[in-house]
Amino acid sequence: MIELQNVSFEYTATGANGETLHKNGVRGLDLTITDGEFVVLTGGSGCGKTTITRLINGLIPHYYNGELNGSIIIDGVSVPNTPIFETAKKVGSVFQNPRSQFFNVNTTDEIAFAAENQCTEPERIKEQIAETAASMRIEKLLDRSIFELSGGEKQIIACASVSVLSPDIIVLDEPSSNLDIEAIEKLKAVLTDWKAQGKTIVIAEHRLYFLRELAGRMIILDNGKVVKELHAEEIKALTFDDTEQMGIRPLSLSDIRFNGCKTASQGNTIRLENFDFTYKDGKHGINIPELELPENRVIAIIGHNGAGKSTLARNICGLERKCRGTLTLNCKALKAKERLRSCYMIMQDVNHQLFTESVRDEVMLSMTDKALTDEQKAGRADEILAQLDLIEYADTHPMALSGGQKQRTAIASGIASSKPVIIFDEPTSGLDLAHMKQVAGEIRKLRDMGKSVFVVTHDLEFILSCCEHIVRLENGEVVQNYELTNDNFHLLTGFFDGH
Amino acid sequence: MQIGLIGSSKNVIFDPDPRAKLSMLLAVNIVMISGGAAGVELVLRAVCAALPFLLLLSIRHFRAAVIYFILLGTAVYCEGFVLPYTHGIAGILLMIPCGILTRFTAGYVMCWYCVKSVSVSEFVTSMEKMHTPYFITIPLSVMFRYFPTLGEEYRSIHDAMKTREIGQSVKNPLIYIEYVLVPIMMSTVRIADELSAASLTKGLSAGGKRTHICEVRLTAADRLLILCSFAMIILFFVF
Amino acid sequence: MKEKFEIKELINVGVFTALYFVVVFVTCFIGMVPICMVLIPLVIPIVAGIPLMLFYSKIKRFGMFTISGVLFGLIMFLMGSYSWVILLTCGLAGLLADVVLMLGGYKSIKHCIAASAIFSLWGIGTFISLFFGFREEYLQNITSGYGQEYVDALSSFTPAWMFYVMAAMCIVGGIIGGLLGAAVLKKHFRKAGMA
Repeated sequence: MIELQNVSFEYTATGANGETLHKNGVRGLDLTITDGEFVVLTGGSGCGKTTITRLINGLIPHYYNGELNGSIIIDGVSVPNTPIFETAKKVGSVFQNPRSQFFNVNTTDEIAFAAENQCTEPERIKEQIAETAASMRIEKLLDRSIFELSGGEKQIIACASVSVLSPDIIVLDEPSSNLDIEAIEKLKAVLTDWKAQGKTIVIAEHRLYFLRELAGRMIILDNGKVVKELHAEEIKALTFDDTEQMGIRPLSLSDIRFNGCKTASQGNTIRLENFDFTYKDGKHGINIPELELPENRVIAIIGHNGAGKSTLARNICGLERKCRGTLTLNCKALKAKERLRSCYMIMQDVNHQLFTESVRDEVMLSMTDKALTDEQKAGRADEILAQLDLIEYADTHPMALSGGQKQRTAIASGIASSKPVIIFDEPTSGLDLAHMKQVAGEIRKLRDMGKSVFVVTHDLEFILSCCEHIVRLENGEVVQNYELTNDNFHLLTGFFDGH
Repeated sequence: MQIGLIGSSKNVIFDPDPRAKLSMLLAVNIVMISGGAAGVELVLRAVCAALPFLLLLSIRHFRAAVIYFILLGTAVYCEGFVLPYTHGIAGILLMIPCGILTRFTAGYVMCWYCVKSVSVSEFVTSMEKMHTPYFITIPLSVMFRYFPTLGEEYRSIHDAMKTREIGQSVKNPLIYIEYVLVPIMMSTVRIADELSAASLTKGLSAGGKRTHICEVRLTAADRLLILCSFAMIILFFVF
Repeated sequence: MKEKFEIKELINVGVFTALYFVVVFVTCFIGMVPICMVLIPLVIPIVAGIPLMLFYSKIKRFGMFTISGVLFGLIMFLMGSYSWVILLTCGLAGLLADVVLMLGGYKSIKHCIAASAIFSLWGIGTFISLFFGFREEYLQNITSGYGQEYVDALSSFTPAWMFYVMAAMCIVGGIIGGLLGAAVLKKHFRKAGMA
């Protein structure tokens, strides 16, 4: 049993000028989780759900600095007074980012890691690994380098590495953020197994649809406080309107509504020809002899894992020089190198594409027009920042911003570059409802400015809130290419229900 | 950087313990780089030159073994038989590459062999068997794990720079360095934070005892190899 | 070392040593251009000083940087195929830099820059054998039959004073790198609240 009694926590951090900052964690929280319960924590970013997972696995107060009040007791033992090494025997943790939670390079070593740390006999560990691998059907993933695995496979290995010690309690912090639909299905299967084994599961999540059948209790948080608690029956009864009103992601993909397209296409087209590209491994790649798409529209690129979505995006952008294909825009056929000059990509991890010391500089960096003076550039930058509600952060370092603000900064630089094509790679991974809607709004704005927008995504709700055209890839080839209308709507839902 | 590729494959004729490999590497490096070419040292050099050749054969890298043999053989031949007949600048031009080849090739091939044939976990396990303290083994494992991540980070940043058309001109290397290094450094800080949190929840503790699923055992042959390597090093320093 | 290291500190040592090594390694490749070769001892500490200063800002305990020096030496020895002397110079340079950091109370920027200069002296391990080992032992040994001509010619290629110039280049490079690193810290990391 997990008991949190009157728990308050505030993170302390050092600010830009050396002053101490306090960031909200949770306030006056009372929560009791009984053995075998499946609890979903949700709410907007910064609502305190991640903090709760950290209170349970002991990272607070043993790793994160801050002010902690109240008591956290697991099976009669106080977590703050127990070394985290001991808590680790009882509580397993899965984190959001599959890239940074592995200590080892080899997957088998990683699965064994937690058991090795507890000094389990090597023979016993090997047996447990074999058992875990068999029950999770991941024999194929054993003894591989983690750098060869997809994000979904990594997250499954993370689950296996938790499973091997068979802890009673498992906490997961936004495990689905970087996963596609298929990987989420696999994650769901693992969670179902765990639930059947009687483990206590606490999961902090934005995306909720895959938890509908599993959740025994859902706790909605806001600003560090519990605002609503729902039980299994109530959760299953939640409709799209209910969740919309609560400000959380829907619990079922099937009742998301489609309002139809509002504007008609103008008839100009973008033509892709001879997009033929294979990666060095010889297996993955795309082969698109010809593809015609509407100009000045928001085009979603969908498909299963490994279908070539990101590869297509990279090729449209001109990042792969070996691709000989051309993209015809405004009657000009652009080769890879020229496409780099007319396409702008907003990457999944925006941290990699922000280079300067302030948001304004970041936007000005994209203005390559030599005729402009620095003052003109700054003026134009401020205009763009105002459009994206970033003007108050103009002098802030981009890395000091929240994830959503960083993404908007990247969008602002994209606008400043005055390139006609803008590509988004998984823009909504790990976003809550409000932020997802915001991104959708920004993408519509880009369309209104006359840009053609490509979005690689597997977020149905997001597609319905801003995309107008769908390209579906399978095995590197285009299998469907249609305008999103009421008549074609079933094609899209068909893809998402296919699992 | 691919580490430990051959270690997992089955068709290895003779696979010494990582500790034996390391002691051989040490011996080859010391003897080849600063050894002379007379008396006992000549014998030692001959043995150390032969070691990488034999080890390459043992992992069935026949082509590499032959190339190594030809390269080293030519250099030694030039040094011994051609050099005495050359004079002036021609002699120097021949001497420097030959000197570099005879001194560094063996060590380099030996390194390559070790890196390719020892997996990270084997390496760390054997370090711990040698009673290397935790404050060396933990950072060491993290290092090996972080090398490929650095590669991934660099590729993403490079792509971003390409799409934003920045840092392309070679005119200002400092700007280029700043654009590449700063995001990588930011990621490093972030990854270190997240990795520490994840490791703590998996029960990694400073100085705590650990077990290993990876088996490293010293066979009689391994012991002999280690003994011989150290004998060579001692002989080398004595003479 | 009275207290145990924290996991976070050890992981920081791991990632930053890896980063430092990769920066050194990559900069070495740039130095493959013949003319730049001579400047390597100067250029490497300049570039590598930037991540080094960020690492220094994370150090709060004596011993961390010594470990880093030892590990860096080990990896240079294993992958860079330098002579075993590199193990010695890296370890020693790490220890000395660590002492300097401690004297600065892990806060003083000046001490960090000094530590960057001192640590860059590990570079001596890469070229010391070109001078002392090369000339005195090996060269004369092997050229005893070839005549004085070679010995003289080769000596003129690598005169002993060159060694001190290169060592000085390391220190100067280390100072410039430290200053650059401090500037980057101020410009980016403090503003972003990350250091």
